[in-house]
Amino acid sequence: MILIGEKINGAIPSVAKAIAAKDADYIRNLAKVQTEAGVDYLDVCASVDNDVELETMKWLIDLVQEVSDVPISIDSPNAHIIAEAIKYCNKPGLINSVSMEGDKIDLIFPLIADTKWECVALLNDDTGIPQDAEKRLEVFATIMDKAKQYNIVPKRLHIDPLVQMLCTSEDGILAIMDVMREIKKQYPQIHITGGASNISFNLPVRRLVNQAFIVMAMSAGMDSAIIDPTKEDLMGMIFATEALLGQDEYCMEYIGAYREGKFGVKK
Amino acid sequence: MSKIAEVKAMVEAGKAKLVPGLVQEALDAGNAAGDILEGMIESMGVVGDKFSSGELFVPEMLMAAKAMSKGVEVLKPHLTGDSAKSLGTCVIGTVAGDLHDIGKNLVAMMLESVGFTIVDLGVDVSAEKFVNAAKDNANVKLVACSGLLTTTMPAMKETVNLLKSSGLSGVKVIVGGAPVSQEMADMIGADGFAADAGGAAVKAKELVSA
Repeated sequence: MILIGEKINGAIPSVAKAIAAKDADYIRNLAKVQTEAGVDYLDVCASVDNDVELETMKWLIDLVQEVSDVPISIDSPNAHIIAEAIKYCNKPGLINSVSMEGDKIDLIFPLIADTKWECVALLNDDTGIPQDAEKRLEVFATIMDKAKQYNIVPKRLHIDPLVQMLCTSEDGILAIMDVMREIKKQYPQIHITGGASNISFNLPVRRLVNQAFIVMAMSAGMDSAIIDPTKEDLMGMIFATEALLGQDEYCMEYIGAYREGKFGVKK
Repeated sequence: MSKIAEVKAMVEAGKAKLVPGLVQEALDAGNAAGDILEGMIESMGVVGDKFSSGELFVPEMLMAAKAMSKGVEVLKPHLTGDSAKSLGTCVIGTVAGDLHDIGKNLVAMMLESVGFTIVDLGVDVSAEKFVNAAKDNANVKLVACSGLLTTTMPAMKETVNLLKSSGLSGVKVIVGGAPVSQEMADMIGADGFAADAGGAAVKAKELVSA
């Protein structure tokens, strides 16, 4: 499982406060704890007004790179900001994200064509988030055409099928699971990602819904996720699910993660 | 740290990919193959103790055994003289009514490492099958009976009885498994008992060379 640490995000009130107060230690600490928890990417999202987003992004990325060698996941809805922020990163990381909306893909894909950058691609376009599986797969097909055009191999892509909140969904995540399976069938090397917490919006005891979601999504092919790696139960659930899916020989990863204190009783 | 100590540490850590290289280095450094083997057997003893005390999980013990067997592969061509001489054939199996094989497999791996030729009868093995295998295979020196369930202890007793009354000469019987103790082994007439895979290897060598 590819873990993308979600904690450095200006949409989280405490982080927004730290950004506003230029509290560097707070940001460094978020980078440290997530690095220690074993993430593969550290997501950095400024979530501030357009005119200060780039400078905020640079401030955040610099702070993270002071204390961590983990690659950055540049998280912005604005492809132009992402294109600039790439320059601040010491090593190739993850673009979060592009979609078929506007000229995002045409701006980003050429920039990362001959690099090791990986990229999250959302299955939406100018008409919004498709309501059924078939339309999402149509968007997926156009994304793959673009990827081919810019010579970006499937294993550098993390497809986010856009899971919507469970409380208003009519079929839970059944349609999304179909989309995940179909994508994996077409491109076994491709990654499937998503936020593990949107699903439970406006429901009580959200962690239970989030954990059940991750188990089901992983069984449908999700192998990358944007998560809070300091949530022990969720981490344990991810390692347990990998073992149950036969992706962990002799459960050594599960046992190793436990030994490292990633979940369970700490000794 | 001496090369043998490094080998031991990596066997205990279950690093199957690293052990063969370290064993080779230990040989290159002039260590006797037999000494390296003894070291690895000791490590398995430590692993067995840690497993018994609940410190290690089953897969960690399996990985350690796997690491050791990888090391033994490198060692085999160098085990000349006494230690290379085959200790004979060992017939091993889990007794009737019992389907557990992890412990039995570990012991089989260990016994093979120290020089036995293994005939593994699998699980749920009847007393007759043990006896027949001991008769039909060449040079059988040892029969090893494993059992994890308390309820299959009578089957273990029956197996030992049949082996002992079937007129086989020069065949020793060793027993083991969670509910088995030295007392119980003595009571049912087995020649030997070991609490873990490392101990089984030591005991087995002792039995056949006695």
